[in-house]
Amino acid sequence: MNPEHDHDDGHHRPRPDSELALRASALEALLVEKGLVSTDAIDAIIELYEHDVGPRNGAKVVARAWTDPAFRERLLDDATKAIAELGFGGAEADTLVAVPNTPTVHNVVVCTLCSCYPWPVLGLPPSWYKSPPYRARMVAEPRAVLREFGLELPSEVEVRVWDSSAEVRYLVVPMRPAATEGWSEDALAAIVSRDSMIGTAVPVAAGPAE
Amino acid sequence: MDGVHDLGGMHGFGAVVVPGGEAVFHDPWEPRVFALYLLTGIEGLGGGPGGRATRERMEPASYLAASYYERWLWSAEQRLLRKGTIAPGEVERMMERLAGGEPPPRRSDPEQAARAAGWLREVVPLRPAAGARFATGERVRVRRMRPAGHTRCPRYVRGAAGVVEHVRGAAALPDAADAGADAPVEPVYTVAFRSEELWGAGEEPAWTVRLDLWESYLEAAA
Repeated sequence: MNPEHDHDDGHHRPRPDSELALRASALEALLVEKGLVSTDAIDAIIELYEHDVGPRNGAKVVARAWTDPAFRERLLDDATKAIAELGFGGAEADTLVAVPNTPTVHNVVVCTLCSCYPWPVLGLPPSWYKSPPYRARMVAEPRAVLREFGLELPSEVEVRVWDSSAEVRYLVVPMRPAATEGWSEDALAAIVSRDSMIGTAVPVAAGPAE
Repeated sequence: MDGVHDLGGMHGFGAVVVPGGEAVFHDPWEPRVFALYLLTGIEGLGGGPGGRATRERMEPASYLAASYYERWLWSAEQRLLRKGTIAPGEVERMMERLAGGEPPPRRSDPEQAARAAGWLREVVPLRPAAGARFATGERVRVRRMRPAGHTRCPRYVRGAAGVVEHVRGAAALPDAADAGADAPVEPVYTVAFRSEELWGAGEEPAWTVRLDLWESYLEAAA
């Protein structure tokens, strides 16, 4: 965005997408032409986050924690090390902390200052996570926001909001639903949604994962 | 800085759950800007301060009107200009060339792709906290402040008292690092705040908010 807009009516108007698309292409073309950036490096980064790094990673971590008490202990003790056991880790989870939901505590994560999010286990954040309403409201009216997501928690449950605006990234470990005894780790991972690891949802045994 | 990016507690932004809110990207240019932005950092093509501090300096009305990746595009351009990697006017000239039908150049560099993948896999944990002033369980108060530069101390916790729950480790103070100064390495604490302390009593059941705060943001609470 160019800071010198034409404000002919005194109101800011977002730029049309076509102009942004052109500007984005031009910046990439400029750096490619200068020999500073390669098209395949850009493609490789996109590929990484489109196919390899996403909430299925986090779901595997949670399912392992549900089925392996010793892993759960390691996860809660040092999540960065524990997720490395499953081959996960990297930028935006340099210091990862896993916070477990219990019958009396429900955790939910936000970043009020920007968009901090544990990429290696959840991928890149959905739009709502980065949006002003979520960033403004989650710390100040968490139950109202959770209700928008369809999550009504008993009044005796402590809602614990983690504002991850600094260096630590947080992964919510939801409670394993009742009626999942004997389920395989894969079947359990399938019901762990991205939102349940942010804290705006809880896993349900019956329904399919989001 | 006390910019409009510091959103915690503000009113008026409406619903969180809205159509399209689930998408990570909305347009094909957005993932390319995401990757291009990361590459400018990995390859050292941008000038300081960092992308986050740069985006915070966006004029407030523009910040709120811009889409998420529009801000990333803007900050990438600003950082490239600052370092002198690109010159003013070069992006606009390239826009004209592309709009005139010139095909965008392509370039292959598998080593750069490998470097980027390696950088994204690298794990750099917090350093051990040495000589931490506050202990777990201690009551602390967030200092009143109005920093002109980048900070990780949001407005809504300033002046509030909470309890140190963890000493997480130590890291360079971002406020100093983004000002280009030799940033002191300080302990970082997870501090728990009660909702009444931050927002006053309300009709909803009380909740708690936790944040990671650098030592110089804090003072002992009486």
